[in-house]
Amino acid sequence: MRLGVDEVGVTELMGVTEHARAMATVASAVLLKSLAGEATLIAPLPAGEGDPEVEALLEEIAEWARATLGQPAVPIVWRILARNVHYLRSTWRKEVALMAAGALPARDKRRVTLGVAMATRARYMIEYHTAVLRHAGDTDRDLLEILGVVDHYTTLNTLSEAMQIESDIRPPTA
Amino acid sequence: MTTIRMVDPATVGGKVREIFDAALRRERTVFGATQISNIWRCMGHSAELLEANWNRSRALMQRGDFSPLQRELIATAVSIANACHY
Repeated sequence: MRLGVDEVGVTELMGVTEHARAMATVASAVLLKSLAGEATLIAPLPAGEGDPEVEALLEEIAEWARATLGQPAVPIVWRILARNVHYLRSTWRKEVALMAAGALPARDKRRVTLGVAMATRARYMIEYHTAVLRHAGDTDRDLLEILGVVDHYTTLNTLSEAMQIESDIRPPTA
Repeated sequence: MTTIRMVDPATVGGKVREIFDAALRRERTVFGATQISNIWRCMGHSAELLEANWNRSRALMQRGDFSPLQRELIATAVSIANACHY
């Protein structure tokens, strides 16, 4: 990872990647299939049924959804986590902290999370990240470019794992 | 442990040599490589596979609207998600 990214940028990328993978695990684990919503393993918390802290967090997420997704509804994955205030709070705070612009721009981070969702075939999170990116202005051509990178690297990953290729690429010294 | 013998870049000719040279030129620019990377070497036993993937690599990693960094961020994340050590 050269291209002018320092340790802070690399660490941001790792954080965004593991967060995207964790969220893909969550969404798949509760059998969330699409943003449209249908039966899930764990029922989402109905509106207005949380304690004051849960309701405040959900209101914060609703504001985010209005600004970032262009929809007023809280995405179901957050309503499912809302059944446990600790789970909801820690995951939402992590999302806000990691996905904000830092060394890397927020939109590039979101493209990374979409790439991870595609690579892990997590349908709900693919739709989720795509909705954010489309609202930010990404076109079909942009989404195809992301898919191309995912596709090509999955190819290279498959080959190198199949042949157990040893890494010959070293981090910069000094 | 690599399960395949790596093609020796010094002994290849024709199409494989051409692609190894082109790949090394690109890797030298992108991350300062001094020799062709193992991922391309391992494909050198099949000129068809090497050529197909090299063409896809150029099409998908060099010809888009994004910056090289933007594509590399996604590529790195996908490799982590696929739990690929290389």
